[in-house]
Amino acid sequence: MKKEEYLYSGLGERLRTEWKIYLAAVIFICIADSIGQIRIPLGPGTLILFPIFYSIILGILSGPQIGKIFKKKEVKAASKLVIVCICPFIAKLGINAGASIEVVISAGPALLLQELGNLGTIFLSLPIALLFGLKREAIGACHSINRETNLALMQDMFGPDSAEARGSLSVYIIGGMIGTIFFGFMATLVAATNIFHPYALGMASGVGAGIMMASATASLSAIYPQMADQISALASTSETISGIDGIYMAIFVGIPLCNWLYKKLEPTLGGIHDKFSRKKGDR
Amino acid sequence: MRYIEWAVMFLVAGFGIGLANMVGFQVGFMDSLPGILILLGISFVSVVISKVLPLKLPVIAYCSLLGLLLASPISPCREFVIASAGKINFTAPLTMVGAYAGISISDQLKQFVKQGWKMLLIAFLVMTGTFICSTIIAQLSLSLTGVI
Repeated sequence: MKKEEYLYSGLGERLRTEWKIYLAAVIFICIADSIGQIRIPLGPGTLILFPIFYSIILGILSGPQIGKIFKKKEVKAASKLVIVCICPFIAKLGINAGASIEVVISAGPALLLQELGNLGTIFLSLPIALLFGLKREAIGACHSINRETNLALMQDMFGPDSAEARGSLSVYIIGGMIGTIFFGFMATLVAATNIFHPYALGMASGVGAGIMMASATASLSAIYPQMADQISALASTSETISGIDGIYMAIFVGIPLCNWLYKKLEPTLGGIHDKFSRKKGDR
Repeated sequence: MRYIEWAVMFLVAGFGIGLANMVGFQVGFMDSLPGILILLGISFVSVVISKVLPLKLPVIAYCSLLGLLLASPISPCREFVIASAGKINFTAPLTMVGAYAGISISDQLKQFVKQGWKMLLIAFLVMTGTFICSTIIAQLSLSLTGVI
């Protein structure tokens, strides 16, 4: 096995470098959880603000580009800490799933099938990206929800400076900044249509991005409190499956599908975009 | 990361969970403690498994599976695990995740602002499409298999 390279010489160095991050997190928790949950009706949906959103915002504000409390090195350290901190949360969801094991087992075939749904977005987003005049960036942007693994995959497959990796990075950054809050709100909007069963919505929340799944599940649980246990059980199982198969789905289905659609559609849709942008240029 | 680093980081995370549960939901620290210890125990064992097994699976996959096993009917401590974890509110572990996540993306703010409206719209479409397509397939297959 490959020998692991350590970032720090030992625990002491880690604590000396990172203590400010822990302290900030503790302060953010005190602030964010004292504010608590806020519900804002917005159109047919409900924007439900959870403490996690406030702590994300506080974190962004304290970074090197605004508050300057944290420097580049601490920013890097924090991204490792996210993984540490999400483990107990996922363990809790696993326990929820075990507690509602009957629902999970009865939904087994559906859980596997709906993994394909994560690819469905390609048919929606790729044509529009091409209409907007994007070229190969569209492949990176549209092949998946673009979390860490996908970003790394695109850089690995096409090179870090490639158009594909740039597209992937754009969606990754936007998803990181507003994806969490957007996902929670969108889940309430889709729920408000009353077309779908809460189980289906719960399952769909597991898209392969832990923090977005958490946001969608928290919102759905607030709307359907009597089914909260089953919703989180299905969401976490689906999230776990997505976490395992996501990268293979991207390599073997998502990216080839994007390439194929690109070849079919780009000449037409890119042409339409060119025509429109030229007309605008004439004026 | 060394095991000792993981262990101490988990203890910090556990403190964060207890604090959020107390501030946000008025659950006393001692009441949260058994649940926190179970969650941290599962997390630590998952780290060990992911380091020992040659399989390339994310740590959180093991966390989820171990949690599921411990709370499933085959587990001898099922009731205790479910009851203890039940004391931890769903969103309590998330506030600290958010704090770290916020700090970790704070140097991307300028890049974010630079993204044009096109990219923003496409990102929204990608997220919406992923969710809705999954919902549709889930709904269809759940009703075909007679679950709903």
